Amino acid sequence: MLEPKVVLFLASVLFCCGVYGVLSRKHLIMMLMSLELMLNAINIMLVTFSRHWAGKGAGLIGAHSGQFFTLMVMAVAAAEVGIGLAIIVAIFRRKHTADADAAADLKG
Amino acid sequence: MEVLFWLSFVVTLLGAAMMITQKHAVYALLGLLIAFVGSAGVFLALDAPFIAVSQILIYAGALAVMFLFVLMFTDTRTDEDQGLPGAVGSRAVWDPAQARPPKKRKKDEPRPPLLSGLVMPKPMAVVVSLALLVCMVAVIVKLPASYNSFGELPSVDGAVIAAGEAAPNYDTGLRRSVKQPDGSSLEVPRHVGYGDTAAVSHTIFEGFPLAFEVVSLLIFAALLGAVLLARRHLTSVPGAQEAGKEQEHA
Repeated sequence: MLEPKVVLFLASVLFCCGVYGVLSRKHLIMMLMSLELMLNAINIMLVTFSRHWAGKGAGLIGAHSGQFFTLMVMAVAAAEVGIGLAIIVAIFRRKHTADADAAADLKG
Repeated sequence: MEVLFWLSFVVTLLGAAMMITQKHAVYALLGLLIAFVGSAGVFLALDAPFIAVSQILIYAGALAVMFLFVLMFTDTRTDEDQGLPGAVGSRAVWDPAQARPPKKRKKDEPRPPLLSGLVMPKPMAVVVSLALLVCMVAVIVKLPASYNSFGELPSVDGAVIAAGEAAPNYDTGLRRSVKQPDGSSLEVPRHVGYGDTAAVSHTIFEGFPLAFEVVSLLIFAALLGAVLLARRHLTSVPGAQEAGKEQEHA
């Protein structure tokens, strides 16, 4: 029997892995990747709640809004990664490193 | 469904563990990819096939390739990596003149220790993320009893099901015509099942059309921004001498 609580537990573990990755890595790309892991965990939670409310008798739009929000998160994550990677490439051109500490000053 | 879920559960957790422990950035990306594919399995087990396919296409397809591309583009070498080429995490400035090819292991040389490819855990990060996990699990444990199992999906009585069609669950308010054996056609309400592509598209275009349009605008803006940010002459502002020289040679 599939339990919502188990799925939510999986998502929280994934989220905390992402938090750990952001906190422990210094490489900008690794931090962005950990961020993606956190967004993915949130997607799993949204789909879980969507399925939960579908089983509680929600209507067509109500039952699928969790899945819709998941699609929105995916689209925003794709946009964010595009911009983030472009910024990392620009930083790398200037600093010759993709280390987070290298980009600590406002003056290029 | 049960087997698929537990399989995906294990695969996802292994992928996430691989991502946060591997020192080599490309291996970490591989772990992330495994976690994405595992979560696509979780989506399938949760009756969301459209989300699962989008997950594979967008995350495992496009995003991973983008990450890999930029990983190849930038330098991941470091000098606190104990001789592991491609490891990440130092503030070393890369100099092409000093770049050395990765050392090849000679025959009689001992193998590197098994865990040398892993990063050492950072104590503070472990404490913070574990504390967060404890908080989240405490909330999950306290959820009401209605969260102990997923309810049955709704079904509509008396709906006409064509051969091979999934059990109808939701009335879309639209109608479709069904060919009768005697040649005439009959108008019946159009039903969709939970998680169908048709059901998701009804949700997008009837429930949240404005959000859909705004997201398309956002992606367009991100596209333009990425092109602008990654343009080469951004680096040739006064003061960046090395970058300027690089520009002349290019």
